[in-house]
Amino acid sequence: MKTAAFTKSYHRRLALSLPELELPKGQITAVLGPNGSGKSTFAKVLSGIEAADDKQPILTGVTVGYLPQKSFPFRMSTEKNILQNGKDPQRAAALMHALGIEGLAGQSAKRLSGGETARMALCRILMRPYDLLILDEPTAAMDMESTLAAEKLILESCREQGCALLLITHSISQAKRIADRALVLHSGGLVEQGPGEQVLYAPREEQTRRFLEFYGL
Amino acid sequence: MKKIVSLILALVMIFALAACGQSAAPTTTEAPAPAEEPASEAQTAETEPEQPEEPEVDALLVDTCILMEADDAMINNYSLLAVNPEAPFVDADGKPVDDVELNTVGAAALINWLLSEEGQELAANFGYEEYGEYLFYLKDGRPVSTAEIPEATEETRLIRLSTTTSVNDSGLLGYLLPIFEEKYGYEVEVYSAGTGKSIGNAKMGNADLILVHSKSQEEAFVADGFAYVLDGMPGERLTWMYNYFVLCGPSADPAGVKEAPDVKAAFAAIADGKYSFISRGDGSGTHTKELSLWPEELGISAEPESFKDYADWYISANAGMGACLVMAEEMGAYILTDKATFLTFVANDGKIG
Amino acid sequence: MGSSIRKAIELILSADPELLNILATTAKVCLTSSVIALILGVPLGILYGAGRFPGRRVLLVLNRTLMGMPPVVCGLLFYLLFSGVGPFRHLHLLFTVPLMILAQVVLITPIVVGTMETFVADTAPALRETAKGLGFGPGKQFRLLVNECVYPIFSAYLLSFARAIAEVGAVAMVGGAIAWKTNVMTTAIMTYTNRGSFTLGIALGLILLSLSLLVNVVLSLLQRRFSQ
Repeated sequence: MKTAAFTKSYHRRLALSLPELELPKGQITAVLGPNGSGKSTFAKVLSGIEAADDKQPILTGVTVGYLPQKSFPFRMSTEKNILQNGKDPQRAAALMHALGIEGLAGQSAKRLSGGETARMALCRILMRPYDLLILDEPTAAMDMESTLAAEKLILESCREQGCALLLITHSISQAKRIADRALVLHSGGLVEQGPGEQVLYAPREEQTRRFLEFYGL
Repeated sequence: MKKIVSLILALVMIFALAACGQSAAPTTTEAPAPAEEPASEAQTAETEPEQPEEPEVDALLVDTCILMEADDAMINNYSLLAVNPEAPFVDADGKPVDDVELNTVGAAALINWLLSEEGQELAANFGYEEYGEYLFYLKDGRPVSTAEIPEATEETRLIRLSTTTSVNDSGLLGYLLPIFEEKYGYEVEVYSAGTGKSIGNAKMGNADLILVHSKSQEEAFVADGFAYVLDGMPGERLTWMYNYFVLCGPSADPAGVKEAPDVKAAFAAIADGKYSFISRGDGSGTHTKELSLWPEELGISAEPESFKDYADWYISANAGMGACLVMAEEMGAYILTDKATFLTFVANDGKIG
Repeated sequence: MGSSIRKAIELILSADPELLNILATTAKVCLTSSVIALILGVPLGILYGAGRFPGRRVLLVLNRTLMGMPPVVCGLLFYLLFSGVGPFRHLHLLFTVPLMILAQVVLITPIVVGTMETFVADTAPALRETAKGLGFGPGKQFRLLVNECVYPIFSAYLLSFARAIAEVGAVAMVGGAIAWKTNVMTTAIMTYTNRGSFTLGIALGLILLSLSLLVNVVLSLLQRRFSQ
């Protein structure tokens, strides 16, 4: 799957400028970069939440799912929230079980904690297949145990559904654990992209190396 | 949403049910109206009104008492005026309006009844049972109606009467109107406000008749063409009843008002000694009367500028009669009031209602 | 204060017919006007909060201005319009309950609109991002947004009911405080105060407050139940 090149500006200031990108199906591409590098902007433009500067679509003919950093819990039970995105209660139950929130199925989603809401939101977006799935920091609010369970679930879903998966994360160790490919952004531009073992372990660019050293502690 | 609405309604009904409880202790929410009409004869103007005296009611609770009354300068005349359907009504922009709908038949019926033998007798006896005093006296040479009063019809049933608060607070209308309504099938809506607002309401075409007690304002109303002469009546202003304003004050009477030869001298004594005086200050009939009683050289008028030098004793309250009476009682001040309101005030231990 | 409380209890227990009539008129006016205001105000508030259309800002400023309209000005306006010499004189609505309701609707609808708009403008962006990210169409996005509004609808209703039951300027002007017809709690309190019967005024005020308290408690309970 190929994305078109685009630029995105806010108030006439260029926030992100990217060339054409290749997002292979059935693989996880980690998007890395420091704060303000344009990761979330990338996710928003790609998902169509916000339009690129030229208003042209970045992707055509594909379904896109996007999980924002702070996903919104609808005013209903956890289970009903998840079933908003698909009618299969068994799949919902399996997803909740995988993330350890099956005990919260009947509880009001508004009452979930931050970590619980994040797990509910991940279950919700995984209810049905998309051609491209963009997850913006899906595990940022989770503890280590939930994070590992979530990573396992993300990896399985990606392989099963054969979707191109973009994982926006600030965790280099997470990228190392589950990403097939990696893409490094800095100051609104693409620094480096390629297979995970290359970008994350033997970066070609100086900027990537410095970033990995700084954040990979 | 439906659920919520019905729940609220249910709630209110529960409240109402609670209110419809068991005990039937009588309480007063209106100026008291005697339940039975007194059997005594109509009190007319020929009867000498009582001389000043302490009201017999609980003097322990209310110190304020009548110090001077029955002075000719303090006569308080009540008039009925039927609103003229052909009056030069204008809308808020001053444009003439010629199709104001008034219930002239109903207004005439009510006026004819109030001026009939029956109506006059009831009015004259009003309050005697309750206070042992007559509250209103019939005027000499008053118009008397013998006209037949038609039964209410669908079109004429609703009569809109605009009156002043002091008339309404005396309880007279609450006593008279149900008898009239019962007998002829009309329904009288009483709009009560200050004299100015009440007459203004009629000029806006919202009243079929007015019952007021301010000669100058009534005459202006007639002069502007808003009133008309009913069949068999001597004129537009039908003045048929009167009572007296009374000058009240603390029972100790530091200004010596009781000994004053007339009311003007009494007011002068109050001003001389700078004894506290509560003025309605609201442009009401009582206020207008009070302004006319001060010595002219003081120059007191409705303008706040005119009494700013007397602010230490002349208190312009800008409030209703009852509220002013409460103030006078609290401050041991002098006050001019209509007698009916004052008697009600005393009978209720220092409050009206 | 103690005598006022006694008087209030005495009044309720005595089932004074005039008091009951005043209570019934108050309930009729305030409940009807606040419910109508809710029906008109909620859709408008959602539209203003979530919609993106030209003139939206102007409408919002206008609505905020109306939120601050003094009741007596609103009452005066309706008095002049429906007066015997006013343009709507043939409707014969002055000094009637329906006109009191109408004046209150004009007075409190902006409050509902304002409350709803604030909430929706706050909620809609995050909800829209999530719903759009899940691939939901505009219809489903809207349904989910409305579903979020239950809590603020209760708040808006409570606010508008409180304003309706507490205001005196509009109902006094338009209703004329005519006994047995258009006299409500607030105008009755005014009348008693003017007569100097402060105790009775406070007693009625206490009854009014208890009524308001009851409505508030019940609605707050419902709000908690329905909003999760």
